[in-house]
Amino acid sequence: MNILDRELKPWLHGVVSVLLGFCVLWSMITFPELHFTFVDGVNSILYYPEKPAIELRNILKYSSNWVLERASLQERVTELEHTNRALSEEMQRSGIKIFVPKEGNVAAKVMLRYPDDWWHEFRIDKGRKDGIKEGAAVTSEGFLIGRVVRAGQNYAWVQMITSSSFLIAAAVDETRDLGVINGDDKGNLTLLYIPEERRLKNGMGISTSLMGKHVPPGIPIGRIIGVKESKDGFQSIRIQAGAHLTQLYSVEVYSGGDNIK
Amino acid sequence: MIYLASVWLLQDFVQVFLMGFFIVPNVFLMLLLLMSLLPGTKREKQIFLIWAAFAGGLIWDFRWTNLPGMTAALDAGSVAAACFIWHKIPAQGRSVTFFAFILIASVVFSGVAHFTLWTVSSQVALRQFFVQQLLGVPLVIIFSLIYWKVSDRNV
Repeated sequence: MNILDRELKPWLHGVVSVLLGFCVLWSMITFPELHFTFVDGVNSILYYPEKPAIELRNILKYSSNWVLERASLQERVTELEHTNRALSEEMQRSGIKIFVPKEGNVAAKVMLRYPDDWWHEFRIDKGRKDGIKEGAAVTSEGFLIGRVVRAGQNYAWVQMITSSSFLIAAAVDETRDLGVINGDDKGNLTLLYIPEERRLKNGMGISTSLMGKHVPPGIPIGRIIGVKESKDGFQSIRIQAGAHLTQLYSVEVYSGGDNIK
Repeated sequence: MIYLASVWLLQDFVQVFLMGFFIVPNVFLMLLLLMSLLPGTKREKQIFLIWAAFAGGLIWDFRWTNLPGMTAALDAGSVAAACFIWHKIPAQGRSVTFFAFILIASVVFSGVAHFTLWTVSSQVALRQFFVQQLLGVPLVIIFSLIYWKVSDRNV
């Protein structure tokens, strides 16, 4: 009878639930795969009920930004058109055959970005069904911001360039010096393995080098803002990302590299 | 049950809508506290509400936080602690003011725990925390008024 009475005490259930909560926390930290399975499961279930709220949010957000963005995008399109024309002319003069690329970008919205993993990864609302593949380059405003690390049917996780585990080959646009871009989990970017004798100037552009079929060369990453340190004959260069990494609402995922639908 | 599910979904929709701007106050926890501390609430129902807090918190964790189990433990612990304190004080002391105090203490405790454990401390995170707490003030007033109305009817 005494035990039965105890079982009906709310505080006892409170203690058990708190302990269970910590057990769940421990098991999710110990088994990250299990954590991702649950996170993706819950997110998939909530995707449809949340859809109206997401759409309403995007309508308000994009309509407020439309006027501001339009001017800068127009400027960028004009600049790209000029570059494209100049390149085409140069290729024609050199007798190089111009081909039409069969690749494209998939626009996706950022659905989840954990504050404690702010500079590490985020989740987008497009997945394998939309042609997204693991390893694909992810850009924002034309600048590289990361790479797809896991892709489900309707979602994908993007590892950001600011993540300390992110490494990608990159080249200095003006000098063609090759190095490796690496993050520090704090929002900073570094270009590693540049020989000490190389004198790189602030403002020089950095873009991707040939990395693999899902990350094409030439995607701009950012600009040089200074030298960090020199060690063992190599210098580390501080890079400022070209994209606004704190304001990522929508991104583009490179879907080229091989035949897609 | 329908109320709880509706309020949880409402909180989730508002969070989706305001994602990146600020964090929504824990309305779900406020409703659980209201339902568990209303006069005439039986122990069995309080126990159900503790586990509802755990389930709601756990789903919230899988959707929004990177520490699954933390909100579940915090919410369930808060409801259980509130029920424990509520029963320990004499019936005359169970006023609307004390209810508001419990509500504020729980919401602030939950907010502080999230702020310290979940976010990377920065000015933006601190601002989000203060906005969350400020938005909680009118909700505390609304829930206290509901408590006052319902408990007044039961007297």
